[in-house]
Amino acid sequence: MKGHRTTFVIAGLLVVAAVVYLIVSSTGSAAQFFLTVQEVHDLADEVVGRNVTVSGAVLGETIVYDPLAPHVTFTIVHVPGDSQAVEAAGGLAQVLHDATLDPTRPRLEVVYRGVKPDLLTNEAQAIVRGRLDEEGRLIADDLLLKCPSRYEEEIPGQVEG
Amino acid sequence: MAAEIGRSLLWLALPLSLYAAFASVWGIRARDARWAASAQRATNALAVLLGVGLLLLLVAFLSDDFSVRYVAQHSSTVIPLYLKISAIWAGQEGSLLLWCALQAFFAAVATGLPNEKARPLVPWATVFLNLISAFFLTVTVLHSNPFATLDVVLAEGQGLNPLLRHPGMIFHPPALYIGYVGLAVPFAFALAALVTRRIEGWTRALHTWMLVAWLGLGIGLLLGMRWAYDVLGWGGYWGWDPVENAGLLPWFTLTALLHGAVMQEERRGFHLWNMLLAIFSFVLVLFGTFATRSGMIASVHAYAQSNLGGYFLSAIGVVLVGSFALLISRRKALPSEAGPASLFSRDGMFYLTLILFSTLTVSVFIGSVLPTITEVLTSRRFEAGPAWFDRVTGPQFGLLVLILGVCPLLGRAAATLVRLRRRLWLLALGAVGAPLAAAAFGFREPVSLLGLGVVGLAGVVTVAELVEGAITRSRRTGEAPINALWRLLRLQRRTYGGYLVHAGVVLMAVGILGTRLYPFEVERTFRMLEPVDVGRYTLVYEGLRQEFVDDHVRTYATVSVYGERGYLVGLEPRLDRYTSGSQTLTTPALRPSIREDLYLILSGWSDNGEIATFKVVINALVNFLWVGGLVFLAGGALALWPHVRSRTWNLVALVVALSLLGGAVWAMWGATHGMILGGTGRPLVGEPAPDMRLTLLDGSTVSLASLKGQVVLINFWASWCPSCVEEMPALQAVWEAYEERGVTFLGVAHRDTQDAVEAALRQYGTTYPVGLDAGERVSTLYGITGIPETFIIDARGDLTLAHIGPITAEALSTVIDAALDMSDQ
Repeated sequence: MKGHRTTFVIAGLLVVAAVVYLIVSSTGSAAQFFLTVQEVHDLADEVVGRNVTVSGAVLGETIVYDPLAPHVTFTIVHVPGDSQAVEAAGGLAQVLHDATLDPTRPRLEVVYRGVKPDLLTNEAQAIVRGRLDEEGRLIADDLLLKCPSRYEEEIPGQVEG
Repeated sequence: MAAEIGRSLLWLALPLSLYAAFASVWGIRARDARWAASAQRATNALAVLLGVGLLLLLVAFLSDDFSVRYVAQHSSTVIPLYLKISAIWAGQEGSLLLWCALQAFFAAVATGLPNEKARPLVPWATVFLNLISAFFLTVTVLHSNPFATLDVVLAEGQGLNPLLRHPGMIFHPPALYIGYVGLAVPFAFALAALVTRRIEGWTRALHTWMLVAWLGLGIGLLLGMRWAYDVLGWGGYWGWDPVENAGLLPWFTLTALLHGAVMQEERRGFHLWNMLLAIFSFVLVLFGTFATRSGMIASVHAYAQSNLGGYFLSAIGVVLVGSFALLISRRKALPSEAGPASLFSRDGMFYLTLILFSTLTVSVFIGSVLPTITEVLTSRRFEAGPAWFDRVTGPQFGLLVLILGVCPLLGRAAATLVRLRRRLWLLALGAVGAPLAAAAFGFREPVSLLGLGVVGLAGVVTVAELVEGAITRSRRTGEAPINALWRLLRLQRRTYGGYLVHAGVVLMAVGILGTRLYPFEVERTFRMLEPVDVGRYTLVYEGLRQEFVDDHVRTYATVSVYGERGYLVGLEPRLDRYTSGSQTLTTPALRPSIREDLYLILSGWSDNGEIATFKVVINALVNFLWVGGLVFLAGGALALWPHVRSRTWNLVALVVALSLLGGAVWAMWGATHGMILGGTGRPLVGEPAPDMRLTLLDGSTVSLASLKGQVVLINFWASWCPSCVEEMPALQAVWEAYEERGVTFLGVAHRDTQDAVEAALRQYGTTYPVGLDAGERVSTLYGITGIPETFIIDARGDLTLAHIGPITAEALSTVIDAALDMSDQ
């Protein structure tokens, strides 16, 4: 009995150890660096070529769309990443609105190869997954957009691009 | 009016739930049955009260009572009836009311109609269940009241979020809530078992409730996956979205609990495991509600700007601390674990199953909160995307499927491969046959072949287990094998329901391997009628059409799909643009087949519809996932099937279950999903034109084969079609210019009469040969979708032009010149 119990414990520990290894190694390689626009500017060269996720407020007038390529470029403005700071500043919609009106905040150009998502509008919150290129632009693989629309109170719309 | 009554009901319900809990405690303390009975009555009254509350909200929706804020935000006069009903759970307030009502209803049923084993646990379970009701009622009444009214009465509501306008939304949220709320019952009874030190029998007593919750969550998750596939228009079905994960986590722990319960019932121990799993299942339900309502996580489901996070976080704290304190104080009451068992035995495999479901739960939990964890640990935020989840959970799922396959072959407690020798060839067949078959069909990615080997092994063993059971019984009883199988399914519902569930898992695993390891997705711009090769398909974009419906404009794009052997089907992906607000909704069109789904999304268009952009996704083996899901649910339903002797009842239940299953099958493969059926498709430019035979007005017959060596123009038209007769002078002019140069024109009159055609020819001075398309044979052959349409065939018999709509003389001359140049060479 004793011997069997030990095997059980060892087998269990082996599985747990393997899973811990998977989690740690995947976090190193497959996870995305989650940054604000400010942090992208601060870290500069350190993050070039890395997988990053950056969130910011979309500047409506910067959206350029070529429907034939299809190809979109736009600029996002820094918003605080911390949810408490967002609450303190009057909620997400307010924070996004303030960000687009503030010319002093750091900005980041985003390049996305794909059809322009309908939710890509002024003051939308963009969560962009991609890679920073040498010129400091963010080449997006995925766009996640939340819109301060009238549906926001219940369910913010979302697009996976 | 309904709103005031609703508000009062909710205010009444909160003290009532507290009273029920208190009365039950008092009844236990004073050993007074009258207090216990009073607690039971209060529990029942609470269920009735909240049921009425739900009805009142329904009345408010049906009567378009926009003085109620919740109704004004989620409904409007134009949305259809079924959406007004499903709007009840479209937002936070209504969902919470539904939650409270279900909670009260389940509490009343579980404590009012307990089975023999559960009866001693009822008084304490009544306490815990009513405390849980009280918690949800507090949140609802204080912070999220669905009956809150507006100061101004609106004439029209804001309507329902277009994403939620889908029949799946009628079932997806309630099914999930049945799962979530159902979990409170095993949790409450588990605590009651701890308090009363009756730990041995509680899992058997609660089996039905565990299965109800498990099936509810399972149906909810599968419907959610299918809804995402049909509506969200990104081509996938599972994105490891934190809210999807929130539903998956309690399902993992509950699945583990169901397996642990089997062991406990067979007196093989696992008492501590099962207690922990019951506690954590409920904690994970609370965590899920916390995650979706705290704004902590960005997701399609998140209820933004919600301040309920604090409540749920405190509840999680109270439940964890309270449960563990109770568990520690009762540690001596936990029966000692079972006798010796080898790891390579049935016991050992159940143990590993529990371990793996636990590590899966922890992995997915960590992935969901990775940004928060890494921020605390390293002050940098890392986020787990689908790649992270696939990498971390993939091997664990693989191991689970392997265990599922090996387990039936092992001895109960000792390390004996009891049935392995007889089955060795079967095992080899599964493990080697499945990857070989896949490779033969072109699926050759190494990891997927390894996965398919495991899946094949598990599949063969599971099927063999079903078949062998039937054969053994048939030998013993002399029944026909099929009858023996039917009897086994009826008599040993849990065991054979379990095997069906396993078979479903195996099928689903094939679908998951296919879609995850053979991803194919491109975004391409199409010009009208220009063939584009995508994967093994050739797609031809044929144009747009628009419809105005209530509050949105629907744009349909027509795309003809050709395979290696010619025309397959027409697809019509759709994009709805809502006139109020700028929201759009894409409805993909898909062509299912066993090998893969071709999935088409209309992304946008320009130049008046001359050019359109589509996202084309090919989901390999995805139908295995959906079939597997149905088998899985059928197995769960079988295991849950109550022991009732009444023939009528069984028959009714069987009919209901089968029609639900039939409905699901129809919704997945019977509905058109944007397919245009019955079409024949135009021949492709560059391919040989189909031979056709036409009887001309003078009675002579002409066939395309007999015109080989000439350039042939075929014009489909009708005397009643204005744009057709408009282009006739141009056609006549080109005919006159090329008549002598080896060019033949053929007019095919579509749905017309001899007299009308002859009159039109006289009026426009047309002299090239024209015939009536009797029985629309030629039109069908050339797959025309309207008139006029013009085709030009070169001297070799290949199609060089397919044109929809009127055409100019210049355009015709250019194509004919090119065709003539080619035949001269």
